[in-house]
Amino acid sequence: MKKIYLISGFIWFACALMIFSHPAAAKVYIDVGSPSFKQIPIAISDFNNKTAGTAKAGDYGMTVSEEIKKDLSLTGIFNLLNKKSFLEDQESITATTADKIRFSDWTAIGADYLLRGNITQNDKEIIADSYFFDVTRGELIFNKKYRAAAGRIKDISRAIASEIMLALVNDEGDFNTKIAFISKKGPKADIQMINYDGSELKNITNHQSIILAPRWSPDGKFLAFTSFKGGRPEIYLRNLMSGTEKKAASFEGLNLCGSFSPDGKNLLLTLSKDGSEEIYMLEIDTLKLRRLTKNYFIDVSPSWSPDGKRIAFVSNRSGSPQIYTMDIDGNNVKRITYEGNYNTSPSWSPQSDRIAYEGLKNDKYQIFSVDAEGSNPVQLTSDSANNESPSWSPSGRQIVYASRKSSKSKIIIMNSNGSSPRTLHDYSGKLAMPSWSPRFK
Amino acid sequence: MKNKLTLTGVVVLILSLIIFTGCAEKKSVVTSETAPVKEAAPTPVPKPTPDTTKQINVAPSDTTTIKEAASDQSSLADATAKSPIRDINFDYDNSSIRPDAREILKVNADYLLKHRVSSIVVEGHCDERGTAEYNMALGQRRAQETKTYLVNLGIKESIIRTISYGAERPLYPESNEEAWAKNRRAHFVVTP
Repeated sequence: MKKIYLISGFIWFACALMIFSHPAAAKVYIDVGSPSFKQIPIAISDFNNKTAGTAKAGDYGMTVSEEIKKDLSLTGIFNLLNKKSFLEDQESITATTADKIRFSDWTAIGADYLLRGNITQNDKEIIADSYFFDVTRGELIFNKKYRAAAGRIKDISRAIASEIMLALVNDEGDFNTKIAFISKKGPKADIQMINYDGSELKNITNHQSIILAPRWSPDGKFLAFTSFKGGRPEIYLRNLMSGTEKKAASFEGLNLCGSFSPDGKNLLLTLSKDGSEEIYMLEIDTLKLRRLTKNYFIDVSPSWSPDGKRIAFVSNRSGSPQIYTMDIDGNNVKRITYEGNYNTSPSWSPQSDRIAYEGLKNDKYQIFSVDAEGSNPVQLTSDSANNESPSWSPSGRQIVYASRKSSKSKIIIMNSNGSSPRTLHDYSGKLAMPSWSPRFK
Repeated sequence: MKNKLTLTGVVVLILSLIIFTGCAEKKSVVTSETAPVKEAAPTPVPKPTPDTTKQINVAPSDTTTIKEAASDQSSLADATAKSPIRDINFDYDNSSIRPDAREILKVNADYLLKHRVSSIVVEGHCDERGTAEYNMALGQRRAQETKTYLVNLGIKESIIRTISYGAERPLYPESNEEAWAKNRRAHFVVTP
């Protein structure tokens, strides 16, 4: 009897805990990181054109839907159902209220969610009224109205796509991000940048030199990198707004750029000024330098965890390059990778729970990720190219990397579990070291 | 006379390297007043070897020709092969000075001690495999180990600088064991 009391007491306690940690209002979001995750089937109807009389406006209803589909497809988590499979008749296909939509027509084609909307335009602006439904429950999830200047249809599509992301996975996605990378032809390299959707490829530097490892400041306003422009490796800090550059480190020997601290105040470096290649922390305002590693071996590629607590780096202290982590004062060094004899380029997930890296397997470099504590290593790429330099998206759902096969290279974005790779950019020269920006406001 | 010719060879090599890397060393060479090569330094074209003629005739300020020279891998390799200061090679992912490299370094040190030398840049290089950043560190380590060895052989530490080019400046562009073995090297840029 006593036992039963104890057990029921425990159950009550557990329930109380659950209620406490999950307030009744909390929504349940789709866990896209789980191994069993399947792409979310979603139907996007053409928006109803409510503009009176103009023939041109007819396109907008379809255009905005097509743009939303494009945006959502970039995320890699949606299965966008083909418009031709839609069953609804002309009467109900324009409906935007739950009582008028025949949800059975949508469950029949496998949709979990449905987007509907109305669009109107005048000389000055476009107004879109969006309705997002949970098809299996037959409920409205949100109804939001967006306005944009005439011609700015992409602003509207991106806002609606972000809202869908917020509703389903609790963040606004990676739409407002860029990827910086190295583009090299012959012996000369420079940094380029491209939008998440593959638009607006831009040259950033004009060093025409050996250039390595672009790193974003956490506010997205600066890039730090290594360049041989001055005849030897030095670290530069570039203001992306003004286009001005200054040297941040130019010590004797090797100067290699690591990542910024999450508060943007410090920059991690690899320097050889004291004999061996060691990791240092540079306070950017005061140029105060602090040494973090101290041993005979190579220590390189430091990367600060987004939660600010640990630094991942590469060391050959075991005899081959492997990934390690340490506290930000250099203490508590822990080896993370044990499989294979060449593991480099550590990159933290935004949640600081996993580290992506490249490892040599069957004579090819492939992308892997592992728990920050060193357990559960997973191979994410396995094609016949050399896949290198992973970098996580701000949402943590995607990873960008450089892929090289014979003389061609690509910048590829995949889901963080390795699924749905898409080519962001390709080039007949060499593309290397992509680095994902923070979200721009 | 023989001595003078060999030193001319060094100057030829240096110049070709300057042109190749586009580095800022040219000033110190061109204006060099070091006695044994005085005639050679300002217009260094006394009796060049056929392979390097092209590079020597290039004025350092002529950028278009410099570009051509920079992509001319084979002449660099030839110039390297003809230098009295030989490259040393390394094992894969390793910076230890191999027994064969020790012998070469002894000969190199001997030569450097017998000639007037104002500066030595030791370049560390890697083969194309692996991570660019790690290779930068590995190349630095190779240069550093080489420097230490030269210092132990009696070369003044203050005249030696080290630089790593990682895997960015291979001597041979091919992707095979033979090219990789030659690309994993420490190279010497000597200013008289």
